[in-house]
Amino acid sequence: MSDNHAEHEEHIGIPGYLVIFLILVFGTIFTYFSSFWDLDSIFPGANTLLALAIAFTKMMFVILYFMHVRWSSKTVWLAAVAAFFWLAIMFAFTMQDYFTRISGVFSV
Amino acid sequence: MTAHGDTHEHHEPGLQHQFEDMHQQEESVSIGMWAFLAQEIMFFGGLFTAYLVFRWRFPMAFAAGSNHLDEFMGGLNTLVLIVSSLTMALTVYYAQKGNRTLQVVMIVLTMLFGATFLGVKAIEYTDKYNHGLVPVTGWNKKVKEDVSAPHVTEQDCTQVGHGDGDDHYVNPKGEFQWKDCSLVKLAQDHNYLTEDEKIGYFTNGEIDANKFRDKVRLFYYIYFVMTGLHALHMIIGLGVMLWLLWKAWIGTFGPKYYAPVEISGLYWHFVDIVWIFLFPLLYLLGRHFLH
Repeated sequence: MSDNHAEHEEHIGIPGYLVIFLILVFGTIFTYFSSFWDLDSIFPGANTLLALAIAFTKMMFVILYFMHVRWSSKTVWLAAVAAFFWLAIMFAFTMQDYFTRISGVFSV
Repeated sequence: MTAHGDTHEHHEPGLQHQFEDMHQQEESVSIGMWAFLAQEIMFFGGLFTAYLVFRWRFPMAFAAGSNHLDEFMGGLNTLVLIVSSLTMALTVYYAQKGNRTLQVVMIVLTMLFGATFLGVKAIEYTDKYNHGLVPVTGWNKKVKEDVSAPHVTEQDCTQVGHGDGDDHYVNPKGEFQWKDCSLVKLAQDHNYLTEDEKIGYFTNGEIDANKFRDKVRLFYYIYFVMTGLHALHMIIGLGVMLWLLWKAWIGTFGPKYYAPVEISGLYWHFVDIVWIFLFPLLYLLGRHFLH
């Protein structure tokens, strides 16, 4: 990790980066074609859920490998996790309002 | 750390005086960049929240608006950005290796793909402008009255299209055009619409083309603000890359000093991540309804 400077510089090397790249390309193509499937007949919002799950996976690969967070110090991990934690608070506290409003109150 | 045990005696050229050694400096710089990215996440997060609120409220209007975006262009741009992320990661790799030539090549490639992204975006925006899909009145192409074409005076909900027929609509003031109610009709027939949506789209129990248009317009507001802000980040990113290109050209970076390349990379990858979410959320809604 941070104590091993040789590894810190090397990260995953060119073959590793190419593998991550191919995963991202595959994720994009899969997102594109899966949007044509009618998953909403399983349950409403299933299409969006799948698309977001793929996007989240792609994001994790970019953050961990392209942005080197996997090899970064604990403080960098903290900054990254805190950012998404606050984002989740913003979503949750906003939507707990809108999800629980009686129909027609927030209208037109 | 052993490699840097003697940095004090040697005085690394890139070492600022407030840091003990290059490693501490590099880590501080990374944390500083991540703090900046955290506020960027909140910045875009506000827009994603607006998207969430209004899409939750009017899912069919969002799906209808999304169906008129070009999903091929959006997908192509996603791939272009992913390639640019790869070349950016390789820029950092070659900076760490001290390979000046390949560093410069990778920076140029990254800028090239970034510019390609903006070019595709410009094509898309032009298309929206020509078809009257910019949500601000007066910002669309002004189409003067064409006497040879059938004159449409009222919003006709049964008419599919929003001006796709090019010369078959008039738009003298450059207003937002939307006459396609096919999706909301389909949803009405299959009883998909929520009570909230019926309030938003209907007048006296019937689909109101003007009310539905305004909900679609909401989608296009969000589309233009989010992609516009993302494009602005791309332009700033290109500026950063230009500076990086010059620094790499004069041979600034090497195994001991590459922090500017690293944090520029963090910024570039962040902008890529935003697009990874924008693509499915804006371009790929309700596409299965079309089949």
